[in-house]
Amino acid sequence: MADLSMTYPKERSETTTSRKSGWWSSYRSRLTPYLFIAPNLLLFSIFVFFPLLYAAYISVHQWSLIDAPEFNGVQNYTRLLSDGQFWQSLTNTVIYSAATVPTSLILGLFLAIGLNRKLAARTLLRSIYFLPVVVSSVATAVIAAWLFNDNYGIINALLKQAGVGPVAWLSSPRWALPSIILTTLWVRIGFCMVVYLAALQSISPSYYEAAVIDGATRPQQFRFVTWPLLRPTTFLLLILNVIYSFQVFDLIYVMTGGGPGFSTTMIVQYIYQAAFASSEMGYASAMGMVLFVLILLFTLIQWRINRRTEQFV
Amino acid sequence: MTQTFDRRTILKAGLGASAGLMVTGRVNSSLAQSPVRLTMAVWGGKAEVEAYNQVIAKYQAANPNVSIRLDVIPFGQFYQQLDTRLAGRQAPDLFRVTYQQVGRYALGKAAIDLSQFIDSGYSAAFTPSVWSAVNYQDKPYALPHHTDTFALFYNADMLAQAGVTVPTSLDQAWTWERFIQVAKLLKEKSIGSYPFAMSWQNSAVHRWMIYLYQHGGQLLNNDLTAPQINTPAGIETIAWTQSWFKEGLVPPSTSVKSAEPVQNLFANGTVAMMLNGNWQIPFVNQQMTKFKWGVTYLPRDVAMADDLGGTCVAISRDSKNPEVAADFLKFLVNEENMRDYISAAQFLPVRKSLVEGGVQYALRPDEMKVFVEQTKTIPQHLVSTVVLPTWGKFNPKLADELDLAFTSGQSPEQTAQNIEAHVKNILLSS
Repeated sequence: MADLSMTYPKERSETTTSRKSGWWSSYRSRLTPYLFIAPNLLLFSIFVFFPLLYAAYISVHQWSLIDAPEFNGVQNYTRLLSDGQFWQSLTNTVIYSAATVPTSLILGLFLAIGLNRKLAARTLLRSIYFLPVVVSSVATAVIAAWLFNDNYGIINALLKQAGVGPVAWLSSPRWALPSIILTTLWVRIGFCMVVYLAALQSISPSYYEAAVIDGATRPQQFRFVTWPLLRPTTFLLLILNVIYSFQVFDLIYVMTGGGPGFSTTMIVQYIYQAAFASSEMGYASAMGMVLFVLILLFTLIQWRINRRTEQFV
Repeated sequence: MTQTFDRRTILKAGLGASAGLMVTGRVNSSLAQSPVRLTMAVWGGKAEVEAYNQVIAKYQAANPNVSIRLDVIPFGQFYQQLDTRLAGRQAPDLFRVTYQQVGRYALGKAAIDLSQFIDSGYSAAFTPSVWSAVNYQDKPYALPHHTDTFALFYNADMLAQAGVTVPTSLDQAWTWERFIQVAKLLKEKSIGSYPFAMSWQNSAVHRWMIYLYQHGGQLLNNDLTAPQINTPAGIETIAWTQSWFKEGLVPPSTSVKSAEPVQNLFANGTVAMMLNGNWQIPFVNQQMTKFKWGVTYLPRDVAMADDLGGTCVAISRDSKNPEVAADFLKFLVNEENMRDYISAAQFLPVRKSLVEGGVQYALRPDEMKVFVEQTKTIPQHLVSTVVLPTWGKFNPKLADELDLAFTSGQSPEQTAQNIEAHVKNILLSS
């Protein structure tokens, strides 16, 4: 292979035609990767990159969508500092993320380990756990809203049979956020399970055979073989779950609308309200930019930590 | 959503409309020369959409070169979609809009001034309150189409079980005290899961002001330049509506920021009474099969007050054929079509001739009479407040603060202070 690659340009450069071809070949080899990624890049630019730049532009304007934007400098950003509702929604988002991310990772991993073994109806069980992931999140939210409905929900009906309740699941500040978190876990655990399952199945059995020969117990096999080899998957799931949690919208919009009070108002919900209920697109864009920076920082920190850990391993 | 008509229906409608239009001379022949396509964005239930489509079919039959597409958008996303289309310069030619929102579209020049398309005496045909609602700086930016208002729906079986009789005339309307007595009686006797529920969800928190005005309060001062909510009347109204939740008289899920469809709770017997609008009559009539029901007057306190509901229709700045759009709009709100629309969709008229002459409703005419009478109690100051261009900025804060009072125990005093501070900021910045 090494010989061929060295002689190929030399042979092509022997005639004028071959000189042209050589020029083209050299550029072609450089251009080809870009051509492959071009469609994706184009879509990314249209739907993500340019809107991001436009949001940054709008964030320093006052704009109600139906009139012309007016430049107002950093006013939208300074307003954020004193907006209690913004900080409340950010706090709610952090609490929601802290409750959903580790729990869905841990439970997803346990389920994946369990369903990686030879069990009766294993495929059926995997499908049941994965089903909420493939169903539209709005449909999931509507179903959850019915289940948790204070007046005619099945959960309160069951509690009533047991002589408990009714509980104001979605209309009391005490229970609304836990209800949202439970619904999120219902969806998110299935997703983590499938990704972990794929990762578990890619681990060569020879590692376990070697560990058994070395006298490793099952917990030791998990600690010294499975867990280190699942680290890239865990990193991926952690980043994805944090992003999903910080961007949660549809579940909240359908189930509680951010209420009661501000008890389930997350940052994206607040951005939506500012943009479309209060017609403050500039302020909403400023909050959007803050959210973007927060997620970017978190991803960079995690990426750095993961790289260091991998080097250490 | 599309609606189909058989050829005979269209022919009949066309012949009827053509004859009527020839008599009144309303068809502008120059408008029908070249093919024109219009789009009209609306929200609405089945009866409303059918009623819109019937008017469109009549207009198209009389103007064969004009085709009109009806875009039916769910109410929850209506203004979001409309604003986004306006931002992209792709708004529909005509759009349905509540009286509370007209000012915002006029201020942003998203709706066009219609004075160029109407005669000087055109406004005299409409009731003064709705005509003032569609005007911004003395120019009309929409034409009134219909109105609606609130009354008290009651489950006749449940009230009979409690031994309660309802008022039969406006001057006998229950006082706040009597209304709460009845609610507590229903609760004591465990009739229904909750005594009543109020429809003020889905950005309709302005309906809370019905009670504010009944109690002698106002959100803004008389000349609409400063807040007036942080007064004894304002604080007491917040406390009174908060007590509904504190004392378990309404389902906790029916606060102002929830998405609970109150009409479902009434239809299935969860609540014995419902404060809601006349447009719910077709739904209740169809769904409430296990109970008898009726409608009586809203409770009153030191004054009677009700809400200005209803919608008008505006022409967007993006319309490429504003003359044809205006011609259709005038056709839509003419006496004959307004009568057909409101009687089919259970709304109330906004033309003086129809208000005075009365409208025959096929469905529940006795209950509709209650709503017609209630329109006399809409305070003009309330109308002036909710049609301000800045109303859209008051509305979310009012919802946030009242929701905190109803669900999270925020005190009425604190709630009034927070609303006052926000309203003051908005008024100063505008």
